[in-house]
Amino acid sequence: MSDWHEAYRRRYKEAKERGVSFFPYAVVKDVFMALLVLCALSYLAIHFGAGLEDVADPTDTTYNPRPEWYFLFMFQALKAFPGNLEPLAAVILPGVVVTLLFFLPFLDRGPKRHPFDRPLITGLGVLGLLMVSYLTYAGAKAPLLNPVVERDPVVESGARLYRDLNCAYCHRIGRKGGGVGPELDRVAPQETEEWLIKHFRDPRSVTPGSTMPQLHLLDDEVKALAAYMKSLGGGEPYSPEAPKLFAANCAVCHKIGKEGGEVGPDLSLIGSARDKAYIRRYVTDPALVNPSSAMPNFKDQLTGTQIEDIARYLSSLGR
Amino acid sequence: MKPVLDWIFERTGIDRVWEALMERHIPEAEGSVSWLYTLGSAAMFVFTVQAVTGALLAMNYVPSPDHAYDSVKFIGDKVILGGFIRGLHHWGASFMVVIVVLHFMRTYFMGAYKYPREGTWMVGIALLGVVIGFGFTGYLLPWDQKAYWATMVGTNIAGQTPFVGPIISKILKGGVDMGAATLTRFYAIHVLILPAIIGILIGAHLFLVVWHGISEPPQRAKPSDGQEKP
Amino acid sequence: MEHESPSGSGAEMTRRTFLTWVSGACAAAIGAVLSASGLAYFVSPAFRKDDEGWVDVGRLADLKAGAPLKLDYVERRKDAWATTEKRASVWLVKDGDKVTAFDPRCTHLGCPFRWDDAKKQFLCPCHAGVFAVDGKVVSGPPPRPLDRYSVKVEAGRLLVNSKPIRSEA
Repeated sequence: MSDWHEAYRRRYKEAKERGVSFFPYAVVKDVFMALLVLCALSYLAIHFGAGLEDVADPTDTTYNPRPEWYFLFMFQALKAFPGNLEPLAAVILPGVVVTLLFFLPFLDRGPKRHPFDRPLITGLGVLGLLMVSYLTYAGAKAPLLNPVVERDPVVESGARLYRDLNCAYCHRIGRKGGGVGPELDRVAPQETEEWLIKHFRDPRSVTPGSTMPQLHLLDDEVKALAAYMKSLGGGEPYSPEAPKLFAANCAVCHKIGKEGGEVGPDLSLIGSARDKAYIRRYVTDPALVNPSSAMPNFKDQLTGTQIEDIARYLSSLGR
Repeated sequence: MKPVLDWIFERTGIDRVWEALMERHIPEAEGSVSWLYTLGSAAMFVFTVQAVTGALLAMNYVPSPDHAYDSVKFIGDKVILGGFIRGLHHWGASFMVVIVVLHFMRTYFMGAYKYPREGTWMVGIALLGVVIGFGFTGYLLPWDQKAYWATMVGTNIAGQTPFVGPIISKILKGGVDMGAATLTRFYAIHVLILPAIIGILIGAHLFLVVWHGISEPPQRAKPSDGQEKP
Repeated sequence: MEHESPSGSGAEMTRRTFLTWVSGACAAAIGAVLSASGLAYFVSPAFRKDDEGWVDVGRLADLKAGAPLKLDYVERRKDAWATTEKRASVWLVKDGDKVTAFDPRCTHLGCPFRWDDAKKQFLCPCHAGVFAVDGKVVSGPPPRPLDRYSVKVEAGRLLVNSKPIRSEA
């Protein structure tokens, strides 16, 4: 056993003697590589920055959770292990792999080092690499369940202020909140931005006798609240694609406003009659909801995300 | 100049250390293969970048749900080169994972983990784990949607460990739900605990690399060269 | 083994020197980029502009000439990334069209003074400092006139910048 240890040490010593000094022959490559890395990092930092999404919102149900890219393969692997097998993919398998890797020097301990002289280890390595690459690719390509909605950051910070200042103690939005002040999603979007800004600076300046306290808000806070007020009134947010999807797939038969066909019902006010879940089910497969419907099903033409998007768009109409 | 240098050398032995570290011979690697040997030092370099940018970011960061997001925004909006420094730290994290994994693959496929470098390899696997820990804990800190939900999924995955899962998940989150305690916990792990661990591990890893010498590029086994088992 | 470097040929020596210089240059470039950007980040507070910080304290119409008025207000301001609220007050004096705002703390030891309507003077209760309506010291220990705030009138509202301007003795 230790024979080859001895032989290896001898061979290594010879290789070392034939070799070169670490400095500068290897150092120059190391430093050059470091410089390349720094250039690449700087380029990415300047061009793409680090990004910052909306502030964390534990109540949000429309977000698509995504892990950082280097965890994507595990995220994707979980999808293949349903139900009570999930711990297998989530914890046990990775645990076993890491343990095996940790003890690899004791599992593969012959003197051979060239990858072609160790077909099993090399093969397993290539296989693992391919699997991780494939899963990462598949994870990156996997469609998002919820439509991605671009939100106006100013509106978002307005919504935060609304929470931070406890406005809901007196005001209602979507039937949530106190009854002292007016119902904001009904009243506020009607007002002009100018009026709202004056109102937030000093409520009594536009509404004499108002019991709302003066809030001493900063300029950007006033603007954010005004923007938030103007944004109220819609249902769940939909992407800008939704009206286009409607125009491309539904407008042949259905009307919204003055645009669209006459074959199916006019949908201009559908949101006041049907909620999003109903519309989604209907678009997915009309026969399940209304067996006499002449409408084709869209589960094969559109992705789940697109149908969700359209349902949100339609349910916002007429509200 | 020379007397000053000599004085310093005599008191500190830096010249001897330099000789041992820098003038040591390494087996020659040919052409493109030799560039594979820069991966370890590249990882060290990215670590340095992360340490420097991380220390700077910590000057303006508050690990509390009330202020974390705003303080990160402040760095981007109000601090000179704040966006650049944060960008370096963000991309540095991804680079770290890429470089460390490439370094790991080189070692794996070249069989460099074999005698006498088993210890170096094991420390290396531990380092890989620490790097992933850095990535996981750091990802939460900006406290934006991405951060919050990715960590939610991550801690729930850990919660699926058989038997001890719920306990692990609670320990990770610092409670039943994700919130203020999770953020301070992740922050402390990210800026205090993991740096201490990685410092020790890097020290051990580098010592072993120098002690055993860097592994030579592998040769195909020939009947006479002692690679065949007796 | 120890004396390997002199054994190289002349060409090898120049190659070695060249590589040493290349290493040094690359390292210097890395150091320059990192330390310059790090330093800029570190010293950035020195170049940050203070917020204007005008606070709406009340209506001009409430202020009568010759009758100084103390107004309490809530000052909401940005403290780096945090928004803080602080209660504060200010003395306002109107003289014709001119409005003056005084820091409500005595310049002696910071006690809150009051307006004596009979004597038409500001009186400090702590050590009997007395100030005239224009802020000048009339008697007592205060070393200098009352400190002031910048004040401006916009659309009938009084705006005060709550950073005291120290008066000269």
